[in-house]
Amino acid sequence: MQKEAAIREPLILGHKTYHDVTEDVCRPIEDKAPKMWYILFGIALVIGLYGVGSILYLLGTGIGVWGLNKTIGWAWDITNFVWWVGIGHAGTLISAVLLLFRQKWRMAINRSAEAMTIFAVFMAGTFPLIHMGRLWVGYWVMPIPNQFGSLWVNFNSPLLWDVFAISTYLSVSLVFWYIGLIPDFATIRDRAKKPLAKKMYGILSFGWSGRAKHWNRFELVSLVLAGLATPLVFSVHSIVSFDFATSVIPGWHTTIFPPYFVAGAVFSGFAMVQTLLLIMRKAMGLEAYIHTKHVEYMNIVIMVTGSIVGTAYITELFISWYSGVEYESYAFINRATGPYWWAYWSMMTCNVISPQLMWIRRLRRSLLFTFFISIVVNIGMWFERYVIIVTSIHRDYIPAAWSMHFPSHIDIAVYIGTIGLFFVFFLLFARYFPVLALNEVKTILKGSGQSYKESPDYHKHH
Amino acid sequence: MSKKYWKGIDELKQTPEFIKQKDQEFPSQQSVEDFLADENLAESSTARRDFLKFLGFSVAAATLAACEAPVTKVVPYVVKPENVTPGMPTWYASTYYDGASYASIVVKTREGRPIFIKGNKDFGFTQGGTNPQIIASVLGLYDSARLAQPLAKGQKASWSTVDTAIRAAIAKAKKVTLLSHTVISPSIQRAIAEMATKLNGEGGTKFEHIQYDAISYAGMREAYSIHFGARSIPSHDFSKAKTIVSVAADFLSTWLLPTEFAVQYGMGRNPEAKWMSKHFQFESVLSVTGSNADVRSMIKPSEEAAVLAYMVKALGGNPGMAVSAGTWKDAADKAVAALKKSKKEAIVVAGSNHIGVQQLVIQLNNLVGAYGSTLDLNNTINLYQSEDAKALKLAANVAAGKGPEVLIMMGVNPVYSMPNGAAFAKGLKSITTVAISSFEDETASLCSYVCPDHHQLENWSDHMAKANEYAVGQPTIRPLHNTASALESLLVWNGSATRGGQDSAVAYDYIQATYTAMNPTGDFNYLTHNSCVAVATTPAALSYKAAALKAIPSAASDTEVVFYQKAAIGNGDFANNPWLQEMPDPITKVTWDNYITMNPVEMEGTYATTYDQEHGLNLATVTVNGKSITLPVYPMPGQAPKTIGIALGYGRGANGENIGKAAFQTKEYGGHAKTEDGKLTPIGANVFGMLSTGATLLYSAAAKVTPAEGTYPIAATQIHHTVMGRHSIVRETTLSIFQNNEKDAFNEGHKLQKLDKHGDHVEAPVSEFDLWAAHPVEKIGHRWGMSIDLSSCIGCGSCLIACQSENNVPVVGKDEVRRGREMHWLRIDRYFASDEEAAIGTKKDKETFSYDNAEKAALNPTVIHMPLMCHHCNHAPCETVCPVAATTHSNEGLNQMTYNRCIGTRYCANNCPYKVRRFNWFNYPSYKKFTEVNPAQDDLGRMVLNPDVTVRTRGVMEKCSLCVQRIQATKLVAKKEARVIADGEFATACSDACPTNAIVVGDWNDLKSMIREKSEGIRAYQALEEIGVKPNVWYQMKVRNEDNNLLKHIQVADQAHH
Repeated sequence: MQKEAAIREPLILGHKTYHDVTEDVCRPIEDKAPKMWYILFGIALVIGLYGVGSILYLLGTGIGVWGLNKTIGWAWDITNFVWWVGIGHAGTLISAVLLLFRQKWRMAINRSAEAMTIFAVFMAGTFPLIHMGRLWVGYWVMPIPNQFGSLWVNFNSPLLWDVFAISTYLSVSLVFWYIGLIPDFATIRDRAKKPLAKKMYGILSFGWSGRAKHWNRFELVSLVLAGLATPLVFSVHSIVSFDFATSVIPGWHTTIFPPYFVAGAVFSGFAMVQTLLLIMRKAMGLEAYIHTKHVEYMNIVIMVTGSIVGTAYITELFISWYSGVEYESYAFINRATGPYWWAYWSMMTCNVISPQLMWIRRLRRSLLFTFFISIVVNIGMWFERYVIIVTSIHRDYIPAAWSMHFPSHIDIAVYIGTIGLFFVFFLLFARYFPVLALNEVKTILKGSGQSYKESPDYHKHH
Repeated sequence: MSKKYWKGIDELKQTPEFIKQKDQEFPSQQSVEDFLADENLAESSTARRDFLKFLGFSVAAATLAACEAPVTKVVPYVVKPENVTPGMPTWYASTYYDGASYASIVVKTREGRPIFIKGNKDFGFTQGGTNPQIIASVLGLYDSARLAQPLAKGQKASWSTVDTAIRAAIAKAKKVTLLSHTVISPSIQRAIAEMATKLNGEGGTKFEHIQYDAISYAGMREAYSIHFGARSIPSHDFSKAKTIVSVAADFLSTWLLPTEFAVQYGMGRNPEAKWMSKHFQFESVLSVTGSNADVRSMIKPSEEAAVLAYMVKALGGNPGMAVSAGTWKDAADKAVAALKKSKKEAIVVAGSNHIGVQQLVIQLNNLVGAYGSTLDLNNTINLYQSEDAKALKLAANVAAGKGPEVLIMMGVNPVYSMPNGAAFAKGLKSITTVAISSFEDETASLCSYVCPDHHQLENWSDHMAKANEYAVGQPTIRPLHNTASALESLLVWNGSATRGGQDSAVAYDYIQATYTAMNPTGDFNYLTHNSCVAVATTPAALSYKAAALKAIPSAASDTEVVFYQKAAIGNGDFANNPWLQEMPDPITKVTWDNYITMNPVEMEGTYATTYDQEHGLNLATVTVNGKSITLPVYPMPGQAPKTIGIALGYGRGANGENIGKAAFQTKEYGGHAKTEDGKLTPIGANVFGMLSTGATLLYSAAAKVTPAEGTYPIAATQIHHTVMGRHSIVRETTLSIFQNNEKDAFNEGHKLQKLDKHGDHVEAPVSEFDLWAAHPVEKIGHRWGMSIDLSSCIGCGSCLIACQSENNVPVVGKDEVRRGREMHWLRIDRYFASDEEAAIGTKKDKETFSYDNAEKAALNPTVIHMPLMCHHCNHAPCETVCPVAATTHSNEGLNQMTYNRCIGTRYCANNCPYKVRRFNWFNYPSYKKFTEVNPAQDDLGRMVLNPDVTVRTRGVMEKCSLCVQRIQATKLVAKKEARVIADGEFATACSDACPTNAIVVGDWNDLKSMIREKSEGIRAYQALEEIGVKPNVWYQMKVRNEDNNLLKHIQVADQAHH
């Protein structure tokens, strides 16, 4: 059993029993969904469908329906892609890296964080697909033996690395998430009364019986997958950053990108987890399991990664000047003072200044403030990608080719649409899946539950 | 004994079976009855499996037979026409003249279709010079708005009906007038003379021929008439002129005979030659010519006479008017000094149509001794013989109902292009009018009869653009429609010929007769082969005599407006040519529009001085002579203060006349934009109505400019105008620095630091650094390369249109250009100098350099035109990033694009440092947005496509291929002849089109090739050399023949420092 200092804040508040945990997690699945769920689901679905419609229009008409031009070949599409991939970083970090570090507080959040990761990666994956001029031949990026002669993919291309990186990340995350869900599905199955639900959860739980052997295998597989997933957390965004870092474009061609992108991804991922969980704990009555302490821990991660990101920004600026390279210097002068200064300073404010506020204990423990900052951070991180992509290529080497980017309404619709779709997935998850890893949480109930910590017997046991 | 052959073993052995069956023709015959009567028949059965096999086979066979591919008919030639081999081009020498531009050309035809026009470098005084309009005219052949048959009272009619009616009208009329553009065709002149003789008899006045051009040079002709007694314009030779002084004459692009002048000018602009011309330009609107000047001074149009008079006086002449100096004095003094130095090797020209101004020009040329040197009075230029006074009087008469009973208009559009066109139009209704016109345009749509002329490429024609050369134009295709040569029409109406139908030989015979009369021993076939022949000129005994100066108008106190022509649209005849509409103006880079040009310094505070995709320009209303128009105001650096410029040639089809789809504005999602009353909306506004009429038409006037409400989106291909002091993009020096210093002074290569053997930091040229293995094009096989001379490039835009024509580059329309999505494979970047630069691309002071100021062009900036296309980098950044290897390197150094493999990630375009890659955002050959503009969407327009080049589909990337189809063709020819490719044998469309030979292509691995020599020259540099992409394109730096002490200080002093 988990041994924990008594002075540490308990991770599970209230006087919860094992049964209470089961009840708390299963209640939203077994009860009728509240009206609010239907309203939110309806809104998300409408937005999502609008996005899907816009994507269909895009595919039917051509990439020209976006606001791109001869100079700016990527803008919102790849910005959104990187943004979503970044968001998709928190889940695996929480479930894998924190598992290896034995951070028990992760148990309350890892399930939804992983779900968020998977849905975010779905959304991210959409963009590289739809940004292609000819999606219908997009399968050519796979090294499939073919009859087109000796045609093969170009292993020099970072876009190809992306294909492998993202698909690996998605599959490992998906398996990891699903393995974790199995015992919890079994719990739901055992409690289910309706035949359909019983059948469905029965299938989903893969015949889990809760035997010691099952638990043993479960723990082992989790550990192995955590080991596998950990390098992926770092590799995915490093590879995404190669899309830019290996180019010749000033502002893209930057060796600092891999660590900077990974830190930024964790930063934005945690912010997204905060946004979602702060709502979810309230809506689903999980205040006892996800509380101020969890939020504070996550805010600390945000603060640390935010500081790394801030340091990277300033390093970039310094290096651009120190390099003495005309184009490199101008790229950064242009970012800060050119036509897109507002994007740059939005990014700086959101990503460099706002996380620093987390040094103040009162603020980082304030749920309302956290919610606000979590949204600010994700706005900032969207701008970061926009600044990197658009302000670098809109004015690169040849001044005669300099241009501006203005999004079309399809650009906006596709982006908002993916947010809608993301919430469609997430709301379905919240409705039908155990949002808390209930069987894992139970393992810390006696070590870190409030009633146990407060009981006079607590110290005797240890 | 003959040999005995046997059919088989049976015969050899003579078996009994063989002997038995030997004589039976049909062995073992069995009748159907016998077969059916066989009792065992029922027992013989087909097994179930066999049955299924048969069934399966039959069904499959039937299915396969049913899904036969649609039949596409390829009809082979039963009798192969001479010179037509499918897949092989046939070239025809011909001559181009449209009433304004003239050139000797070569027309490329494929399977009988003309698809490409280039200048004829072997024959003709234009020496290969063309302009964008001539190259783009091939598209006009396939214009679906061209009239396909004659019209009578607006209805389709047969030629016989129309001819009968016209002949009757002529016979009945008391007065017949032929209004035509300048006729340089000896045959048409002869036909007109015959008509005059017949109608006028002895001394009659029934018939009159008036020549009228939309753009008039009457002032110049009148001035010559005053001083030399002949209304003629001498030949100009810019190649001999060491000093060129131009007062508002855009002789490289629109003035007089630019096809010849550009070639000549190019010859004098080689800094490596013994001498380089020094070019002074005094003008109001920054023109293509002005952008090439060594010294350019901004003057108001009313100051033109003053500038010339000042120079006349300074050279010791008596200008005949009061002389005072203005802001231009400094430049004028320099010009005078240069004129004094170069003596008769000088030329002075002026663009004004004012007689007095042209008188001063003549006086100046006479003072320096240009006549007999750069100006040849014996060899006159026959273009532009417009008689303004007569034409205007005719128009006034027609308007007043006092016109001739029959008015024949040939190749003119006076309703559109005359200042009093509107009144003229009203008067046309009361008389019989005949238009020889290819379109139902502003004038033809009002005429009683419209007799469509052949397109030039369908027609026999002859020309004498200059007195010493007779040229013919030959048809390159059988007439597409039921049209007739104008020459034939005149002959028919005169009763001297009968209609010959589509295969008529009337014009051919008549032209041949003209030639035979001129040169009885001449071989017409030889003439046709070369397209032209020299004609001896008789020396005219013309001598200069002084005369009083025609009154010079006093300077207007108000803002003055200059009506100028743009390189692409000219006088408006080409308003329906989408290639030309989409050709960026050489100076403003604006497409599809006209606008008011104004100096940005004057615009501050009133009008927007910057623009982009979403932010348009402010509108202003210009009032001239009581007429007003509203147009956007374009910030044009170098525009003289207190002047504005408006281009002629816009506002075509104001009443929705059917002059072609591309002549009208289109909507964002396709279709034409309509005005409130349902008419098509013309592009821009027609300002011909604002011209002042006096003794001659004047192209400048006093104007009132008032800001108007609203903004207007502008479609420009370039929205940033300076090079930001970036030295590795464009390089510039002056002639004296160039001549007196080593290469490192003015053209120092980029150096990087490295460690030497001892671990010390040393500088080494970029070429020594490489992350990659050398590309296997070095010293093996071909390595195609290109050199572009920024000194001789004049920015005319011919290369751009030639490239569009050769490579099937789609036209995307105004809305898409505005969004920054033009598809041109070759673009011409135009950079203005800023006040932060000593010369374009050289910072004045690196320490105090301000990026903000560097973004703004100087008040009167110097200009560099930089053609830019794919650089075919040997270490191409685009190639490494393509995930599917759709863009790869050929073993001849080409960066090649495989459209079929492209999945459209656009990463290559992002990673291209030169930004030359173009993405197919839509399906241009079929998407509705482009129906009105893209010729590939028109059944007829599609015929212009080059069958050697793929038409690209949506979603793929494209870019310059260095005309790989031409490389392959050249290689094939050489291979068939079992020899190596000669230097100069391969030419790209752009290098073919360049009038100044600024573009040189060739095999870099050929050590004796021109490209090799150019690439190793002291002016050679590679753009963005330091990023190490190793391009196969070299630039020759710009050398300006001017003094620039600051630049000298930077380049020479800097060098001494090292």
